[in-house]
Amino acid sequence: MVDPSPLNWLYITYNTVEEPVRVTHRGKVRPAAMRSYRWRGRRTLEIRVRPGDRFADGTTLTADSVRRALEEQFRWEAPHPPGTHFNIDRRSRVEIVDEHIVRLHMPEVDGLVLGKLRATHVMSDRFWADLGFGYARNRSGEGHW
Amino acid sequence: MIDAPGPWASGAFTLIEGHSVIDTEAIVTDGADRTWLQTEDRSPTLRLRANPHYWDRRRGPRVAEVEFRNDLPPERALELVCDTVGEVDLVTEVPPTAAGRVRRSRHARLVAVDAVRVLAGAIDRSAEGLPLVDVRARRALNLAVDRRALADDVLDGHAHPLAGLTPPTPLTALHRAPGRLRPYPHNPDEAARLWRAVGGAHRPLRLATFGSWEAVAHAVAAQWHTALGLAVDVTALRGADAERDARRRQAAKLPRDWDVLLVDHGAQSVDVPPLELHRAFVGRSGEFRAGPVDPEFERLFTRLRSRTSQLGQVLAANRIDRYVSSQALALFLVAPRALYAVNHDVDFRPYATTFELADTSVRRGHWSTRQRGTPVAT
Repeated sequence: MVDPSPLNWLYITYNTVEEPVRVTHRGKVRPAAMRSYRWRGRRTLEIRVRPGDRFADGTTLTADSVRRALEEQFRWEAPHPPGTHFNIDRRSRVEIVDEHIVRLHMPEVDGLVLGKLRATHVMSDRFWADLGFGYARNRSGEGHW
Repeated sequence: MIDAPGPWASGAFTLIEGHSVIDTEAIVTDGADRTWLQTEDRSPTLRLRANPHYWDRRRGPRVAEVEFRNDLPPERALELVCDTVGEVDLVTEVPPTAAGRVRRSRHARLVAVDAVRVLAGAIDRSAEGLPLVDVRARRALNLAVDRRALADDVLDGHAHPLAGLTPPTPLTALHRAPGRLRPYPHNPDEAARLWRAVGGAHRPLRLATFGSWEAVAHAVAAQWHTALGLAVDVTALRGADAERDARRRQAAKLPRDWDVLLVDHGAQSVDVPPLELHRAFVGRSGEFRAGPVDPEFERLFTRLRSRTSQLGQVLAANRIDRYVSSQALALFLVAPRALYAVNHDVDFRPYATTFELADTSVRRGHWSTRQRGTPVAT
Protein backbone atom coordinates (compact mmCIF):
# COMPACT_ATOMS: atom_id res chain seq x y z
CA MET A 1 0.00 0.00 0.00
CA VAL A 2 1.11 3.51 -0.71
CA ASP A 3 -1.16 6.13 0.80
CA PRO A 4 0.02 9.71 0.24
CA SER A 5 -3.00 11.10 2.09
CA PRO A 6 -2.10 13.45 4.95
CA LEU A 7 -4.78 11.57 6.90
CA ASN A 8 -2.83 8.31 6.83
CA TRP A 9 -2.31 8.56 10.61
CA LEU A 10 -6.10 8.51 10.99
CA TYR A 11 -6.58 5.64 8.57
CA ILE A 12 -4.03 3.54 10.47
CA THR A 13 -6.09 4.26 13.58
CA TYR A 14 -9.35 3.30 11.89
CA ASN A 15 -7.84 0.05 10.60
CA THR A 16 -6.67 -1.00 14.05
CA VAL A 17 -9.11 0.60 16.49
CA GLU A 18 -12.86 0.48 16.87
CA GLU A 19 -15.10 3.30 17.90
CA PRO A 20 -18.71 2.95 19.02
CA VAL A 21 -19.57 3.75 15.39
CA ARG A 22 -17.89 3.33 12.03
CA VAL A 23 -18.97 4.33 8.54
CA THR A 24 -20.23 2.21 5.66
CA HIS A 25 -18.71 2.24 2.19
CA ARG A 26 -21.05 5.07 1.27
CA GLY A 27 -20.18 7.04 4.40
CA LYS A 28 -23.16 6.33 6.63
CA VAL A 29 -22.57 6.07 10.38
CA ARG A 30 -23.44 2.64 11.78
CA PRO A 31 -22.74 0.77 15.02
CA ALA A 32 -19.30 -0.84 15.41
CA ALA A 33 -17.99 -1.39 18.94
CA MET A 34 -21.52 -0.67 20.08
CA ARG A 35 -24.27 -3.08 19.09
CA SER A 36 -27.00 -0.45 19.27
CA TYR A 37 -27.97 2.88 20.79
CA ARG A 38 -31.09 4.71 21.78
CA TRP A 39 -31.96 8.15 23.04
CA ARG A 40 -33.43 8.22 26.54
CA GLY A 41 -34.90 11.68 26.52
CA ARG A 42 -33.11 14.35 24.52
CA ARG A 43 -29.87 14.56 26.47
CA THR A 44 -29.06 10.95 27.33
CA LEU A 45 -27.62 8.50 24.83
CA GLU A 46 -27.69 4.85 25.87
CA ILE A 47 -25.04 2.65 24.27
CA ARG A 48 -25.09 -1.15 24.31
CA VAL A 49 -21.80 -2.85 23.59
CA ARG A 50 -21.51 -6.18 21.86
CA PRO A 51 -21.23 -9.12 24.30
CA GLY A 52 -18.09 -11.14 23.69
CA ASP A 53 -16.20 -8.39 21.83
CA ARG A 54 -12.47 -8.65 22.57
CA PHE A 55 -9.39 -6.54 22.16
CA ALA A 56 -6.44 -7.91 20.25
CA ASP A 57 -4.73 -8.82 23.56
CA GLY A 58 -7.65 -11.12 24.36
CA THR A 59 -9.21 -8.96 27.10
CA THR A 60 -12.92 -8.16 26.98
CA LEU A 61 -14.46 -4.96 25.65
CA THR A 62 -17.23 -3.91 28.03
CA ALA A 63 -19.36 -0.92 28.89
CA ASP A 64 -16.52 0.18 31.14
CA SER A 65 -14.20 0.34 28.09
CA VAL A 66 -16.58 2.86 26.50
CA ARG A 67 -16.83 4.79 29.77
CA ARG A 68 -13.08 5.08 29.95
CA ALA A 69 -12.82 6.14 26.29
CA LEU A 70 -15.27 8.96 26.97
CA GLU A 71 -13.81 10.05 30.29
CA GLU A 72 -10.21 10.00 29.02
CA GLN A 73 -11.40 12.30 26.22
CA PHE A 74 -13.02 14.69 28.68
CA ARG A 75 -9.64 15.26 30.38
CA TRP A 76 -8.46 17.37 27.44
CA GLU A 77 -9.61 20.68 25.98
CA ALA A 78 -8.92 19.82 22.33
CA PRO A 79 -8.07 16.13 21.99
CA HIS A 80 -9.00 15.65 18.33
CA PRO A 81 -6.57 16.82 15.60
CA PRO A 82 -9.33 18.08 13.27
CA GLY A 83 -10.48 20.44 16.01
CA THR A 84 -12.83 21.05 18.89
CA HIS A 85 -15.92 20.54 16.73
CA PHE A 86 -15.50 16.83 17.52
CA ASN A 87 -15.63 17.48 21.26
CA ILE A 88 -18.40 15.92 23.28
CA ASP A 89 -19.33 18.32 26.09
CA ARG A 90 -16.76 17.76 28.85
CA ARG A 91 -19.42 18.38 31.48
CA SER A 92 -21.15 15.15 30.41
CA ARG A 93 -21.52 12.34 32.93
CA VAL A 94 -21.02 8.69 32.07
CA GLU A 95 -23.09 6.05 33.87
CA ILE A 96 -22.44 2.32 33.77
CA VAL A 97 -25.76 0.48 33.88
CA ASP A 98 -24.33 -3.03 33.61
CA GLU A 99 -21.52 -4.85 31.87
CA HIS A 100 -22.94 -4.10 28.44
CA ILE A 101 -24.83 -0.81 28.84
CA VAL A 102 -23.43 2.65 29.34
CA ARG A 103 -25.26 5.97 29.34
CA LEU A 104 -23.90 9.34 28.30
CA HIS A 105 -25.72 12.13 30.12
CA MET A 106 -25.07 15.44 28.36
CA PRO A 107 -25.79 18.85 29.89
CA GLU A 108 -27.30 20.08 26.60
CA VAL A 109 -28.88 18.45 23.58
CA ASP A 110 -26.27 17.44 21.01
CA GLY A 111 -27.75 15.64 18.04
CA LEU A 112 -24.31 15.56 16.44
CA VAL A 113 -22.96 13.26 19.12
CA LEU A 114 -23.34 10.08 17.05
CA GLY A 115 -20.96 11.44 14.44
CA LYS A 116 -18.60 12.60 17.18
CA LEU A 117 -18.47 9.05 18.54
CA ARG A 118 -16.45 8.26 15.40
CA ALA A 119 -13.60 10.01 17.21
CA THR A 120 -14.10 8.14 20.50
CA HIS A 121 -11.53 5.37 20.28
CA VAL A 122 -12.28 2.39 22.52
CA MET A 123 -9.00 1.01 23.85
CA SER A 124 -7.76 -1.77 26.11
CA ASP A 125 -6.66 -1.18 29.73
CA ARG A 126 -3.12 -1.99 28.65
CA PHE A 127 -3.20 0.81 26.09
CA TRP A 128 -4.23 3.40 28.67
CA ALA A 129 -1.54 2.14 31.07
CA ASP A 130 1.36 1.78 28.61
CA LEU A 131 0.80 4.27 25.78
CA GLY A 132 -2.33 6.44 25.78
CA PHE A 133 -3.07 9.05 23.15
CA GLY A 134 0.16 11.01 23.44
CA TYR A 135 0.44 10.30 27.17
CA ALA A 136 3.74 8.39 26.95
CA ARG A 137 5.07 10.47 24.06
CA ASN A 138 4.06 14.01 25.04
CA ARG A 139 2.67 13.62 28.56
CA SER A 140 -0.49 15.16 27.15
CA GLY A 141 -3.48 14.03 25.13
CA GLU A 142 -4.08 17.44 23.55
CA GLY A 143 -4.34 17.15 19.79
CA HIS A 144 -3.23 13.53 19.82
CA TRP A 145 -6.38 11.39 19.67
CA MET B 1 -3.46 8.19 16.72
CA ILE B 2 -1.37 5.17 17.60
CA ASP B 3 2.21 6.03 18.54
CA ALA B 4 3.65 2.52 18.70
CA PRO B 5 2.85 -1.09 17.76
CA GLY B 6 0.82 -3.17 20.17
CA PRO B 7 -2.42 -5.13 20.63
CA TRP B 8 -4.16 -2.01 21.83
CA ALA B 9 -7.65 -2.24 20.42
CA SER B 10 -10.37 -4.30 18.76
CA GLY B 11 -10.09 -3.23 15.12
CA ALA B 12 -9.72 -5.55 12.16
CA PHE B 13 -5.91 -5.29 12.25
CA THR B 14 -3.18 -4.78 14.81
CA LEU B 15 -0.23 -2.47 14.25
CA ILE B 16 2.85 -4.69 14.50
CA GLU B 17 5.60 -2.54 13.00
CA GLY B 18 6.24 1.15 12.36
CA HIS B 19 4.28 4.30 13.01
CA SER B 20 2.24 6.95 11.21
CA VAL B 21 1.60 9.91 13.48
CA ILE B 22 1.44 13.68 13.33
CA ASP B 23 3.01 16.44 15.32
CA THR B 24 0.39 19.03 16.09
CA GLU B 25 0.37 22.77 16.67
CA ALA B 26 -2.71 24.29 18.26
CA ILE B 27 -4.42 27.21 16.53
CA VAL B 28 -7.19 29.16 18.24
CA THR B 29 -10.00 29.60 15.74
CA ASP B 30 -12.42 31.38 18.06
CA GLY B 31 -12.65 31.64 21.85
CA ALA B 32 -12.14 28.15 23.26
CA ASP B 33 -12.25 26.53 19.82
CA ARG B 34 -9.10 25.04 18.39
CA THR B 35 -7.86 23.26 15.34
CA TRP B 36 -4.45 21.63 14.94
CA LEU B 37 -1.84 22.12 12.25
CA GLN B 38 -0.42 18.74 11.36
CA THR B 39 3.07 17.61 10.39
CA GLU B 40 3.40 13.98 9.37
CA ASP B 41 5.92 11.57 10.86
CA ARG B 42 5.94 8.10 9.31
CA SER B 43 8.34 5.20 9.50
CA PRO B 44 9.62 3.97 6.09
CA THR B 45 7.38 0.93 6.34
CA LEU B 46 4.44 0.05 8.53
CA ARG B 47 2.81 -3.35 8.94
CA LEU B 48 -0.64 -4.42 10.10
CA ARG B 49 -1.52 -7.99 11.02
CA ALA B 50 -5.03 -9.48 11.05
CA ASN B 51 -6.65 -9.37 14.50
CA PRO B 52 -7.95 -12.90 15.22
CA HIS B 53 -10.39 -11.53 17.82
CA TYR B 54 -12.16 -9.10 15.45
CA TRP B 55 -15.88 -9.75 15.93
CA ASP B 56 -17.23 -9.03 12.44
CA ARG B 57 -15.96 -12.08 10.59
CA ARG B 58 -18.24 -11.36 7.65
CA ARG B 59 -16.43 -8.08 7.10
CA GLY B 60 -12.91 -9.32 7.61
CA PRO B 61 -10.03 -9.16 7.88
CA ARG B 62 -9.41 -11.13 4.68
CA VAL B 63 -5.66 -10.77 4.35
CA ALA B 64 -3.08 -11.90 6.89
CA GLU B 65 -0.92 -8.80 6.68
CA VAL B 66 -0.84 -5.37 5.10
CA GLU B 67 2.35 -3.43 4.49
CA PHE B 68 2.39 0.33 3.95
CA ARG B 69 5.41 1.55 2.02
CA ASN B 70 6.00 5.13 3.12
CA ASP B 71 9.45 5.20 1.52
CA LEU B 72 8.04 5.54 -2.00
CA PRO B 73 7.11 8.85 -3.60
CA PRO B 74 3.60 8.72 -5.12
CA GLU B 75 4.88 8.94 -8.71
CA ARG B 76 7.20 5.97 -8.20
CA ALA B 77 4.42 4.04 -6.46
CA LEU B 78 2.17 4.59 -9.48
CA GLU B 79 4.88 3.23 -11.78
CA LEU B 80 5.25 0.15 -9.60
CA VAL B 81 1.55 -0.64 -9.31
CA CYS B 82 1.04 -0.15 -13.03
CA ASP B 83 4.16 -1.88 -14.35
CA THR B 84 5.18 -4.54 -11.84
CA VAL B 85 3.78 -7.30 -9.64
CA GLY B 86 4.66 -7.83 -5.99
CA GLU B 87 5.99 -4.34 -5.29
CA VAL B 88 2.85 -2.25 -4.73
CA ASP B 89 -0.76 -3.49 -4.76
CA LEU B 90 -2.62 -0.27 -4.18
CA VAL B 91 -2.00 3.47 -4.42
CA THR B 92 -4.46 6.01 -3.03
CA GLU B 93 -5.05 9.64 -4.03
CA VAL B 94 -4.30 9.09 -7.70
CA PRO B 95 -4.43 12.50 -9.39
CA PRO B 96 -7.02 12.79 -12.20
CA THR B 97 -4.23 13.50 -14.66
CA ALA B 98 -2.77 10.03 -13.95
CA ALA B 99 -6.07 8.15 -14.28
CA GLY B 100 -5.52 7.35 -17.95
CA ARG B 101 -2.11 5.85 -17.24
CA VAL B 102 -3.67 3.50 -14.67
CA ARG B 103 -6.46 2.52 -17.05
CA ARG B 104 -3.95 1.61 -19.74
CA SER B 105 -1.66 -0.30 -17.41
CA ARG B 106 -1.06 -4.01 -17.60
CA HIS B 107 -1.29 -4.85 -13.92
CA ALA B 108 -3.60 -2.28 -12.30
CA ARG B 109 -7.12 -0.96 -12.67
CA LEU B 110 -8.63 2.37 -11.68
CA VAL B 111 -11.12 2.34 -8.79
CA ALA B 112 -13.14 5.48 -8.10
CA VAL B 113 -15.61 6.55 -5.44
CA ASP B 114 -17.81 9.60 -4.96
CA ALA B 115 -16.00 10.86 -1.90
CA VAL B 116 -17.50 13.11 0.72
CA ARG B 117 -15.11 15.94 -0.04
CA VAL B 118 -15.33 19.31 -1.69
CA LEU B 119 -13.04 21.63 -3.60
CA ALA B 120 -14.28 25.08 -2.68
CA GLY B 121 -13.02 28.59 -2.13
CA ALA B 122 -12.90 30.47 1.13
CA ILE B 123 -13.90 34.03 0.22
CA ASP B 124 -12.45 36.89 2.25
CA ARG B 125 -15.59 38.93 2.77
CA SER B 126 -13.63 41.80 4.31
CA ALA B 127 -11.03 42.16 1.53
CA GLU B 128 -10.13 45.81 0.88
CA GLY B 129 -10.46 47.06 -2.69
CA LEU B 130 -12.88 44.30 -3.65
CA PRO B 131 -16.66 44.27 -3.17
CA LEU B 132 -16.77 40.79 -1.61
CA VAL B 133 -18.72 41.99 1.44
CA ASP B 134 -21.68 42.31 -0.94
CA VAL B 135 -23.57 39.09 -1.63
CA ARG B 136 -24.04 40.19 -5.25
CA ALA B 137 -20.29 40.15 -5.80
CA ARG B 138 -19.95 36.69 -4.29
CA ARG B 139 -22.82 35.46 -6.45
CA ALA B 140 -21.11 36.98 -9.48
CA LEU B 141 -17.95 34.99 -8.74
CA ASN B 142 -20.03 31.81 -8.53
CA LEU B 143 -22.12 32.54 -11.64
CA ALA B 144 -18.96 33.18 -13.68
CA VAL B 145 -17.61 29.68 -13.02
CA ASP B 146 -18.30 26.81 -15.42
CA ARG B 147 -18.27 23.87 -13.03
CA ARG B 148 -19.00 21.29 -15.68
CA ALA B 149 -15.97 22.43 -17.65
CA LEU B 150 -13.82 22.21 -14.51
CA ALA B 151 -15.04 18.67 -13.85
CA ASP B 152 -14.81 17.44 -17.44
CA ASP B 153 -11.87 19.32 -18.90
CA VAL B 154 -9.56 20.08 -15.98
CA LEU B 155 -10.28 17.05 -13.81
CA ASP B 156 -10.86 14.60 -16.69
CA GLY B 157 -14.41 13.80 -15.57
CA HIS B 158 -13.36 12.72 -12.08
CA ALA B 159 -15.45 15.30 -10.25
CA HIS B 160 -19.03 16.48 -9.93
CA PRO B 161 -20.28 20.09 -9.94
CA LEU B 162 -20.93 21.28 -6.42
CA ALA B 163 -24.25 22.72 -5.20
CA GLY B 164 -23.71 24.35 -1.84
CA LEU B 165 -21.14 22.50 0.24
CA THR B 166 -22.76 19.06 0.33
CA PRO B 167 -21.00 16.69 -2.07
CA PRO B 168 -23.38 14.81 -4.37
CA THR B 169 -23.18 11.16 -3.32
CA PRO B 170 -26.00 8.58 -3.27
CA LEU B 171 -26.53 9.12 0.44
CA THR B 172 -26.55 12.93 0.36
CA ALA B 173 -29.41 13.05 -2.13
CA LEU B 174 -31.85 13.55 0.75
CA HIS B 175 -29.78 16.35 2.21
CA ARG B 176 -29.96 18.16 -1.09
CA ALA B 177 -33.55 17.29 -2.07
CA PRO B 178 -35.70 19.75 -0.10
CA GLY B 179 -35.64 23.04 -1.99
CA ARG B 180 -33.98 21.36 -4.98
CA LEU B 181 -30.63 22.95 -4.35
CA ARG B 182 -28.72 23.07 -7.62
CA PRO B 183 -25.27 24.33 -8.55
CA TYR B 184 -24.96 27.97 -9.55
CA PRO B 185 -25.52 27.95 -13.33
CA HIS B 186 -22.74 29.16 -15.57
CA ASN B 187 -24.21 32.54 -16.47
CA PRO B 188 -21.48 35.01 -17.49
CA ASP B 189 -23.98 37.73 -18.49
CA GLU B 190 -25.75 37.76 -15.12
CA ALA B 191 -22.36 37.53 -13.38
CA ALA B 192 -21.14 40.59 -15.28
CA ARG B 193 -24.33 42.51 -14.50
CA LEU B 194 -24.01 41.83 -10.77
CA TRP B 195 -20.28 42.62 -10.78
CA ARG B 196 -20.93 45.98 -12.46
CA ALA B 197 -23.77 46.70 -10.03
CA VAL B 198 -21.43 46.45 -7.05
CA GLY B 199 -18.81 48.68 -8.65
CA GLY B 200 -16.30 46.05 -9.76
CA ALA B 201 -12.77 45.67 -8.43
CA HIS B 202 -10.21 48.38 -7.66
CA ARG B 203 -7.31 45.97 -7.85
CA PRO B 204 -6.56 42.42 -9.04
CA LEU B 205 -8.13 39.59 -7.06
CA ARG B 206 -5.59 37.30 -5.40
CA LEU B 207 -6.51 33.65 -5.84
CA ALA B 208 -4.39 31.17 -3.88
CA THR B 209 -4.45 27.41 -3.89
CA PHE B 210 -2.46 24.45 -2.74
CA GLY B 211 -0.22 22.91 -5.38
CA SER B 212 -2.39 20.02 -6.51
CA TRP B 213 -5.27 22.30 -7.55
CA GLU B 214 -3.22 24.82 -9.52
CA ALA B 215 -4.80 23.90 -12.87
CA VAL B 216 -8.27 24.44 -11.42
CA ALA B 217 -7.22 27.83 -10.05
CA HIS B 218 -5.93 28.97 -13.43
CA ALA B 219 -9.15 27.80 -15.12
CA VAL B 220 -11.28 29.70 -12.60
CA ALA B 221 -9.11 32.80 -13.02
CA ALA B 222 -9.57 32.64 -16.79
CA GLN B 223 -13.34 32.26 -16.44
CA TRP B 224 -13.50 35.25 -14.08
CA HIS B 225 -11.40 37.33 -16.43
CA THR B 226 -13.60 36.44 -19.39
CA ALA B 227 -16.92 36.98 -17.65
CA LEU B 228 -16.13 39.87 -15.33
CA GLY B 229 -13.08 41.49 -16.89
CA LEU B 230 -11.44 40.82 -13.56
CA ALA B 231 -7.66 40.65 -13.28
CA VAL B 232 -6.66 37.66 -11.16
CA ASP B 233 -3.26 36.89 -9.64
CA VAL B 234 -2.93 33.14 -9.05
CA THR B 235 -0.58 31.82 -6.39
CA ALA B 236 0.09 28.12 -5.94
CA LEU B 237 1.31 27.30 -2.44
CA ARG B 238 3.86 24.53 -2.91
CA GLY B 239 5.46 22.44 -0.22
CA ALA B 240 4.49 21.56 3.30
CA ASP B 241 5.87 24.76 4.84
CA ALA B 242 3.93 27.08 2.55
CA GLU B 243 0.75 25.09 3.04
CA ARG B 244 1.14 24.99 6.80
CA ASP B 245 1.81 28.74 6.96
CA ALA B 246 -1.30 29.47 4.89
CA ARG B 247 -3.42 27.20 7.05
CA ARG B 248 -2.01 28.75 10.22
CA ARG B 249 -2.76 32.31 9.07
CA GLN B 250 -6.20 31.40 7.87
CA ALA B 251 -7.29 29.40 10.92
CA ALA B 252 -5.99 32.07 13.31
CA LYS B 253 -7.55 34.86 11.22
CA LEU B 254 -4.19 36.58 10.76
CA PRO B 255 -3.64 39.00 7.82
CA ARG B 256 -3.91 37.11 4.54
CA ASP B 257 -2.21 37.53 1.23
CA TRP B 258 -5.12 36.15 -0.74
CA ASP B 259 -8.78 37.04 -1.36
CA VAL B 260 -10.01 33.59 -2.32
CA LEU B 261 -8.28 30.40 -1.15
CA LEU B 262 -9.13 27.13 -2.90
CA VAL B 263 -9.00 24.16 -0.54
CA ASP B 264 -10.19 20.59 -0.62
CA HIS B 265 -11.86 19.43 2.53
CA GLY B 266 -13.66 16.25 3.50
CA ALA B 267 -16.05 14.89 6.09
CA GLN B 268 -15.87 11.64 8.03
CA SER B 269 -19.50 10.73 7.37
CA VAL B 270 -22.44 11.73 5.19
CA ASP B 271 -24.92 11.96 8.04
CA VAL B 272 -24.43 15.63 8.91
CA PRO B 273 -22.12 17.29 6.36
CA PRO B 274 -22.35 20.74 8.03
CA LEU B 275 -20.42 19.50 11.10
CA GLU B 276 -17.22 19.36 9.07
CA LEU B 277 -17.87 21.14 5.76
CA HIS B 278 -20.19 24.14 6.20
CA ARG B 279 -18.83 24.85 9.68
CA ALA B 280 -15.27 24.84 8.36
CA PHE B 281 -15.95 27.46 5.67
CA VAL B 282 -18.56 29.62 7.42
CA GLY B 283 -18.92 28.73 11.10
CA ARG B 284 -17.65 30.64 14.12
CA SER B 285 -15.01 27.95 14.72
CA GLY B 286 -14.36 27.43 11.03
CA GLU B 287 -10.73 27.01 10.11
CA PHE B 288 -11.42 28.44 6.63
CA ARG B 289 -13.87 31.20 7.60
CA ALA B 290 -12.66 34.47 6.09
CA GLY B 291 -14.96 37.22 7.23
CA PRO B 292 -17.13 38.08 10.18
CA VAL B 293 -19.16 35.50 12.08
CA ASP B 294 -22.54 35.07 10.40
CA PRO B 295 -25.29 35.11 13.09
CA GLU B 296 -27.89 33.44 10.86
CA PHE B 297 -25.51 30.58 10.09
CA GLU B 298 -24.84 30.15 13.82
CA ARG B 299 -28.58 30.07 14.50
CA LEU B 300 -29.12 27.40 11.85
CA PHE B 301 -26.17 25.37 13.14
CA THR B 302 -27.51 25.49 16.71
CA ARG B 303 -30.81 24.26 15.33
CA LEU B 304 -29.04 21.36 13.62
CA ARG B 305 -27.35 20.41 16.88
CA SER B 306 -30.72 20.37 18.64
CA ARG B 307 -32.12 17.72 16.29
CA THR B 308 -31.69 14.10 17.39
CA SER B 309 -33.77 12.36 14.69
CA GLN B 310 -32.17 11.57 11.35
CA LEU B 311 -34.96 13.27 9.41
CA GLY B 312 -34.71 16.36 11.57
CA GLN B 313 -30.97 16.50 10.97
CA VAL B 314 -31.36 16.08 7.21
CA LEU B 315 -33.85 18.95 7.06
CA ALA B 316 -31.73 21.17 9.28
CA ALA B 317 -28.62 20.39 7.21
CA ASN B 318 -30.51 21.24 4.04
CA ARG B 319 -31.52 24.63 5.46
CA ILE B 320 -27.87 25.35 6.22
CA ASP B 321 -26.82 24.34 2.72
CA ARG B 322 -29.48 26.52 1.11
CA TYR B 323 -28.50 29.49 3.28
CA VAL B 324 -24.77 29.12 2.57
CA SER B 325 -25.52 28.78 -1.13
CA SER B 326 -27.96 31.71 -1.37
CA GLN B 327 -25.53 33.99 0.47
CA ALA B 328 -22.63 32.68 -1.63
CA LEU B 329 -20.57 32.29 1.53
CA ALA B 330 -18.01 30.25 -0.39
CA LEU B 331 -16.94 29.64 -3.96
CA PHE B 332 -18.62 26.35 -4.78
CA LEU B 333 -16.61 24.41 -7.34
CA VAL B 334 -16.61 20.61 -7.55
CA ALA B 335 -16.65 17.43 -5.52
CA PRO B 336 -13.54 15.50 -6.65
CA ARG B 337 -13.83 11.70 -6.80
CA ALA B 338 -11.25 9.69 -4.87
CA LEU B 339 -9.17 7.56 -7.25
CA TYR B 340 -7.14 4.43 -6.52
CA ALA B 341 -4.78 2.34 -8.60
CA VAL B 342 -5.33 -1.30 -7.62
CA ASN B 343 -3.58 -4.48 -8.69
CA HIS B 344 -5.83 -6.73 -10.79
CA ASP B 345 -5.64 -9.54 -8.23
CA VAL B 346 -6.75 -7.39 -5.29
CA ASP B 347 -10.44 -7.01 -4.44
CA PHE B 348 -10.73 -3.53 -3.02
CA ARG B 349 -13.97 -1.64 -2.48
CA PRO B 350 -13.37 2.00 -1.55
CA TYR B 351 -15.05 3.97 1.22
CA ALA B 352 -16.50 7.43 0.61
CA THR B 353 -14.90 8.96 3.69
CA THR B 354 -11.99 6.80 4.79
CA PHE B 355 -9.37 4.29 3.70
CA GLU B 356 -10.04 0.96 5.40
CA LEU B 357 -8.92 -2.50 4.41
CA ALA B 358 -10.95 -4.89 6.59
CA ASP B 359 -12.92 -6.22 3.62
CA THR B 360 -10.09 -6.12 1.10
CA SER B 361 -8.99 -9.51 -0.19
CA VAL B 362 -6.68 -11.00 -2.81
CA ARG B 363 -7.52 -13.50 -5.53
CA ARG B 364 -5.97 -16.89 -6.05
CA GLY B 365 -3.47 -15.62 -8.59
CA HIS B 366 -2.14 -12.87 -6.34
CA TRP B 367 1.65 -12.86 -6.03
CA SER B 368 1.57 -13.38 -2.24
CA THR B 369 -0.42 -16.62 -2.51
CA ARG B 370 2.10 -17.92 -5.02
CA GLN B 371 5.17 -16.87 -3.03
CA ARG B 372 4.14 -17.22 0.60
CA GLY B 373 0.92 -19.19 0.66
CA THR B 374 -0.78 -16.54 2.83
CA PRO B 375 -2.49 -13.44 1.45
CA VAL B 376 -0.53 -10.24 2.01
CA ALA B 377 -1.16 -6.84 0.48
CA THR B 378 1.57 -4.29 -0.12
